[in-house]
Amino acid sequence: MARVAREMVEKAGVDIDHLVELLVKNAAAELTTYYYYTILRVNLIGMDGEGIKEIAEVARVEDRNHFEALVPRIYELGGKLPDDMKTFHDASACPPASLPADPTNVTSMLNVLVEAERCAVRGYTYICNMTAGKDHRTYDLALAILNEEIEHESWFSEFLGEGPSGHFMRRGETSPFVSKFLR
Amino acid sequence: MGKRCFTEEELRGYNGENGAPAYIAFEGRVYDVTRSFLWQHGRHQALHTAGADLTAALSEAPHGADLLEDFPVIGLLIETG
Repeated sequence: MARVAREMVEKAGVDIDHLVELLVKNAAAELTTYYYYTILRVNLIGMDGEGIKEIAEVARVEDRNHFEALVPRIYELGGKLPDDMKTFHDASACPPASLPADPTNVTSMLNVLVEAERCAVRGYTYICNMTAGKDHRTYDLALAILNEEIEHESWFSEFLGEGPSGHFMRRGETSPFVSKFLR
Repeated sequence: MGKRCFTEEELRGYNGENGAPAYIAFEGRVYDVTRSFLWQHGRHQALHTAGADLTAALSEAPHGADLLEDFPVIGLLIETG
């Protein structure tokens, strides 16, 4: 634990136990989404599915990166991950991104993907609002993750015909915003 | 058939703990969120508990009231004060 760092956050008026619980819940959401996206990705097949497979893979890898980036901050603030994996899964801040009943229906697959990203966008927006100007390190981390989650949402949204994402997908490297927390 | 009416005190009993159903109120309507993954054991995002009127709290939430449309309205909250 980073004792003084935790004290500074508390002194700034952040409910640190609440914050740590939210970080654990969002770490759970990231790791479980990584798992469920693995299943979604392998089922994105055929003429339509193959077109989405690559962005699903990028989102999957970046969600795993988000988990890796969140864990150190949880321990710095005096928190910990649950000992039991099932407890961790059930604590997730977002519902399971389960394979839809008909995996060949690409719209159903996209709806699962976009709803998972929207849940994440809501969660990190809340953490940013909670820590802005008070807990600079958590804010910086949550903002970096939020940037990537918003891009994921816009990619899937574009495929659903909701409007252009306004940017290209990754070219080579993943996690342009979060990578600084992974070094 | 008319909706069941809940007082705030009655609503508090539906807090999702120890197998109890999880009900929440918003703008006078009572929603059953028992089956929601995000309301397990009557807790939501480490902040809210079931069995309460969350009308004021929703204005602080990072989502709108539209998400409540996924849940059945099982009654009305009546003011007793």
